[in-house]
Amino acid sequence: MRISLVSFSVLLGVLSLPAEANPALLSHYQQQALQENPGFSGFSAARGKLLYSRQSSASGKTMSCTSCHTADPRQPGKTPAFRELAPLAPSVTPTRFTDLKKVEKWFRRNCDDVYQRSCTAQEKGDFVSWILSVK
Amino acid sequence: MHHWQKILMMAALMLSGSLYADDDHEGDHHRQPNHTRVKAPAAWQAECGSCHMAYPPGMLPPAAWKKHMDTLRQHYGSNATLDAADEKAIRDFLQLASSENRQPVPTSKPGEPPRITDTRWFQHQHDEIAPAIWKRKSVGSAANCMACHHGAAQGDFDEDSVRIPR
Ligand code: HEC
Ligand code: HEC
Ligand code: HEC
Repeated sequence: MRISLVSFSVLLGVLSLPAEANPALLSHYQQQALQENPGFSGFSAARGKLLYSRQSSASGKTMSCTSCHTADPRQPGKTPAFRELAPLAPSVTPTRFTDLKKVEKWFRRNCDDVYQRSCTAQEKGDFVSWILSVK
Repeated sequence: MHHWQKILMMAALMLSGSLYADDDHEGDHHRQPNHTRVKAPAAWQAECGSCHMAYPPGMLPPAAWKKHMDTLRQHYGSNATLDAADEKAIRDFLQLASSENRQPVPTSKPGEPPRITDTRWFQHQHDEIAPAIWKRKSVGSAANCMACHHGAAQGDFDEDSVRIPR
């Protein structure tokens, strides 16, 4: 009986995932940030916003997250190969920030594209805190 | 080009079989292309279709796809790296599904993997398109097949569904 109750609530949890951003994302980055820096003191949406628009020439081209996702993450973006991108803000595209694996994959690729390095857990958490707050 | 040749070529491209314009094998012009469709892993469409359409494997020879898979960290200025399982599934699929393409690997700019748009058949098919058209804002580059071929994502490059945007 207990088992079926548990699996029922797991099922409910899975079913309700696509509706809103995954709350486990932030706790995941928080745990990592604590490991990276014992002095970790929380995430900042303001810093996340700065990360989004900060220009970098590390790749040889001047780029920022806005190069593909546009200055307003509620607007559709475009890849360098001209495919349209759904808006990054989960308030507009509810499937965004629901899947840790997907989010990690694109942080890995996109931080490398823009900054030629990985983003830290602090930066990812800042970014997620901000993008979740964009209404 | 005769109608039957086009049909053959399109079948070849879509079914990842041999390209009709294989100059080294005269007999291939008349041979029915291999119709065994290699089933694509879900990761191919999801991963290779996220920045552009997932280009049909038959459009490049296996050695060209190997170069792509070996250089995903530096993929035309983008990091397109994959996790190990997806990497292997896509690598195997591209090798198998392109195996009948015997054309040479097209030469590309240093540091770039080979382009479909640099193959002889591509340039031949598009030789009436003026350079200025490729640069139109509505097109972007020749690699943006979908700008003109509206069925491209479904593998349809038929000339009847081509429309060059203004
Ligand atoms: C070169 C183009 C490009 C740049 C620059 C870029 N992105 Fe992306 N981003 C993409 C593409 C392509 C996708 C995946 C396709 C999609 O999901 O629409 C994506 C998806 C993402 C996702 C996945 C979101 C989800 O859950 O669906 C995150 C997170 C992300 N980008 C963050 C960033 C950050 C942070 C930056 C700046 C450091 C950035 N991106 C810069 C192209 C870019
Ligand atoms: C992170 C974004 C991204 C991902 C993921 C990606 N590509 Fe690309 N790809 C590009 C860009 C950018 C170009 C260059 C487009 C241009 O020049 O207009 C390109 C071009 C290409 C071309 C050459 C098109 C031409 O000009 O003929 C091929 C072939 C190609 N990609 C194959 C792949 C394969 C196979 C995968 C999956 C393993 C893949 N791509 C995944 C960004 C990506
Ligand atoms: C600027 C618009 C444009 C773009 C972009 C473009 N094509 Fe084409 N394509 C055409 C036109 C026009 C024709 C010629 C149709 C005809 O024969 O009248 C053509 C013909 C073809 C044919 C032969 C079709 C037939 O029935 O004979 C193939 C295959 C093809 N294109 C593939 C591609 C691929 C693959 C890409 C992307 C890598 C691409 N095209 C990008 C405009 C375009």
